[in-house]
This record gives sequence, structure tokens and C-alpha cells, in this order.
Amino acid sequence: MNAARTRQGQKAIKGAIGIGLFFLAWQIGSSLSGVGSYFFPQPGDVFRAFVELWHKGILEAYLLDSLGRYFAGVGLGLLVGLIAALCLGLNKFIARMFTPLVSFFYAIVESAWLPIFVIWFGYGITTILTLLVYVVAFPILYNTLAGIRAFPPTYINAAKSLGGSRLQIITNVILPGLLPNIITGFRVGAGFAFRGLIIAEAIAATSGIGFLIFDGAANQQTDRTIVGMIVMGVLWLVIELFYLKPFEKATIHRWGLVVSAEGRET
Amino acid sequence: MMTSKAARLFLPMIPFAAILALWFIAPSIFPIPAYKLPTPQLVWEQFAATLSDGSLLKHVLASLERLALGFVIGNALAIPLGIAIGLNKHVSDLCMPLLTFLQSIAGIAWIPLAVLWFGIGNGAIVFVIANIIFFANLHNAVIGVEAVPESYRRAVRSLGASSTQTLFNVIVPGAMVQLLIGLRSSVAFGWRALIGAELIAGTTGLGYMTLDAVQWYQTETVILGMIIVGILWLVLDHAVFKTIENRTVIRWGLVRSD
Repeated sequence: MNAARTRQGQKAIKGAIGIGLFFLAWQIGSSLSGVGSYFFPQPGDVFRAFVELWHKGILEAYLLDSLGRYFAGVGLGLLVGLIAALCLGLNKFIARMFTPLVSFFYAIVESAWLPIFVIWFGYGITTILTLLVYVVAFPILYNTLAGIRAFPPTYINAAKSLGGSRLQIITNVILPGLLPNIITGFRVGAGFAFRGLIIAEAIAATSGIGFLIFDGAANQQTDRTIVGMIVMGVLWLVIELFYLKPFEKATIHRWGLVVSAEGRET
Repeated sequence: MMTSKAARLFLPMIPFAAILALWFIAPSIFPIPAYKLPTPQLVWEQFAATLSDGSLLKHVLASLERLALGFVIGNALAIPLGIAIGLNKHVSDLCMPLLTFLQSIAGIAWIPLAVLWFGIGNGAIVFVIANIIFFANLHNAVIGVEAVPESYRRAVRSLGASSTQTLFNVIVPGAMVQLLIGLRSSVAFGWRALIGAELIAGTTGLGYMTLDAVQWYQTETVILGMIIVGILWLVLDHAVFKTIENRTVIRWGLVRSD
């Protein structure tokens, strides 16, 4: 126990050294290159830009905008994905019929939808939310359909022969069996959605972290671009750590579904 | 047996046909202006026109070339570094937190800096693609190497193998499954980022073609671009990567096919 803790501590120290070395290299590189702050800002420039943006309240406002869009979009996407999965999924026949269509739409990446959403909904929140819903719903739908096609009929037959009704089979056998697929799809979609949000904000928004990254560059304020990138990275790690990981734990790990999913594959 | 096979091929056509039919009749039922939803004929004509004047092929090739270049550069850097990190605990402890952070900003967020450093167009886009592919496969290489049991390494070393022999005969084959999975998934990330990067920093390519068309309200070009993006990805993923997987991983019995 103690040894494990020392090992953890050593790991943290070494990790901090790694990050420190990165900043040192950045500092040395940018001061040696002599190309100017616009072309290659120093860490100090970026820090000053961060403090300035924070004091003016711009950064907080942008962060809240981005977070609000992200959670609204991902939540709606989860809902749409689940409803679509329920409609297309409760029957192997329908699942097989719709799989190629779903794969095709899944293959049209979100960035390719952005131009037509702009034509349909203009620049703004509708375009961004539609994009996020799209990018979250399709992996969920796709994974669920894949799960349904591979669902072992023996499970259903077993439940049937024990006298389970159709509804009981759906709620007690099929849905729990498909939950790992749904969660995997959601994980994938939530990751894509974060990148989708950044690109959508770059093109169709006037606020948010993605806007900050691209607007900074457009106004020759490269230090603001880098502030935006760093905030984006921290934001994603925070979302992953405090939102997606607990979500996984609360569902897959708790119900021991991972074991059954792995057991099914062999 | 025949009928069920035919049905299996025929069934998936129904939703496609339904959507196509809906698309055909939508303008006559709902008052949708043509600039919002051009008819399928218009998209088809645009396809024929851009195919015959060669502009479509030019954009497709530009996109694929960037993807290929980014794929080669990104993986050529990621795989050796990933193996090094996987083999050495100190390197791993030192690099992983930083790399995890950089991974979370990999891809399109680098577009502004890439444009600044490499100019708009090919250089910037290839940088962004190589960047995301690097981070997408790095993790797989590390996991792959870490999954090779230490005892295997020790066993070969004690039989007198040099470190190069250990690397190429034990570690690389042992990590191969994960590496191939990484290659495939890294292309998926690269492809997504490619279309996004071309929207913003392109002067050619499918992403550029679609957003450029928005300015002229050439919605038929936008839809054509989307369809081609979808088809190209399915072809790339199924024809190229599934085949490679079938020929290697599944054939060697390393993982079971579905």
C-alpha cells in the first residue's frame, strides 16, 4: 500500500517534470527563434492574455457558453440516439434493414454536415446543437444495431422458455444486454462532439472556446489562440474525468456488464 | 436459401430508396426553396458536370493525398515513440501526463497555429492531420507494448538475443494487434479532422469544396460533397482496412472475426 503510494507520488513528480520541460523548451524555443510574439508567443505572453481575458470576464462567459452548448447537445444527442435505437432496434429484421443506411450516415462526418446546416439554420446555436446531436446520436445508434445483430438468441429463448413475456424480455434481457453497446457509442459520440463543438464554434458562433481559438488568430492575437487551446485541453480532461468516467462507472462497472459483454464474445 | 440471401441484399435498399423518394417529392409537397434543398437531379447533374471537367477528382485526390501524407508522418513518429514509452517506465512517467494533455487538444484546434506557421493550404492541413493521427496511434502503441509479458522479453534475452532481435521478434509482433487497431482508428480520426481542417484552411479538397459552395448557395455541390465524403469513408474503411485486418490479424488467429 505504502509502496504503491510512493510509486504514485514518483509518477506525479516525473509527470510534472515532463510538463515543466515542455514549458522550458517552449520558452527557450520562442525566445531563441526571435520571430516575434505574433508568430510564436512565449509562455509569458499567453499567461498575460489568460489573465486579461479572465479579468474582462470574456473567458468565463466563453467557457459557460461552450459548456452549455456541449451538455445540451450531448444530452439531446443521447436522447435522440436512444429513441432511434429503440425504434430501429427491437427487431433483428429492422436492424438488418437499416444498418447500411445508418453506416452511411455515420460515415458522413460532422464537418461535412456543417455547410448544409449553415444553409438550413444560419450561423448560430441551432446549427451547433444540430451538429452535436447528429454526432452523438449516430455512434449510439450504430453500436446498438451492431449489438442487436450479434445478440445471442439463446438468451432470448432461455427467457422465453422460462415464461418471460415480450415486454419482460425487452426490459430484462435485451436492454441490459445492449447497455454496453449504448454506452460505448455514447463515449465515442461524446468525444467526437467535443471536437465537433470546437469546429462548429469556429464557423458558426461568436462566442465560446472554439471561437476564441479561431478569432484570436484572425485578429493576430496568437496568444489568445493558445489560451483557447489550453483551456480546451483542460476542459476536455475535466469532462472526461468528472463526467464520462463516473458515467461509465455508474453503469457498466456497477452492474458488472463488462464481464457479460466480454463473455459473449468468446 | 437463395431467397433469404437475395432478401438480405435487397432489404437494406428499402430505406435508401425511401429517402431518395422522399427527397424527390419533398419540393412539390413542402415549400422548400431550391437553394435549401436542391432536387436529386440537380445533384446528379452537378456530379456529372464536375466529374467531366475533372474538378471533383481534383478535390478528392487532394483530400486523399493529405490523409495519406498525414497518416505516414503521424504513424512514423507515433509508433517508435509509443514503443519507447511502452518499454521504459521512466520515459512513460515523464511523457504520459504531457502527452495526455496534448492529445486532448490534438487536431482541429491547431489549425490557426498551423496556418500561421505553414500558410493556408496543404502544409497546415497535413500538420493538423499528422498531429491527430500521431496522438490517436501513440496510445495504442504504448498499450500494445505494455501488454507483451515481461517474461517473454526476459526469456529471449536469457537465450542470448540482442536488444534489436528482442524488439523485432518479440515486442513488435506482440504489439502488432494493437498497432493495427491503432492504424485503423487513427485514420478515422484523421479523416474527421481532414474534412474539418479543409473547411477552414483548405484551398482544395472535399471540405473546401462544400463550404466554398455555401457562399454561392450552390447547395447541390454541398450535398454532392457530403455523399462523396460518406462513400469514400466506407470504401476506405471496408475495402482497405477491413481487408488488411482480415489478411493479417484475423488470419494469424490473433483475434476472432465476427
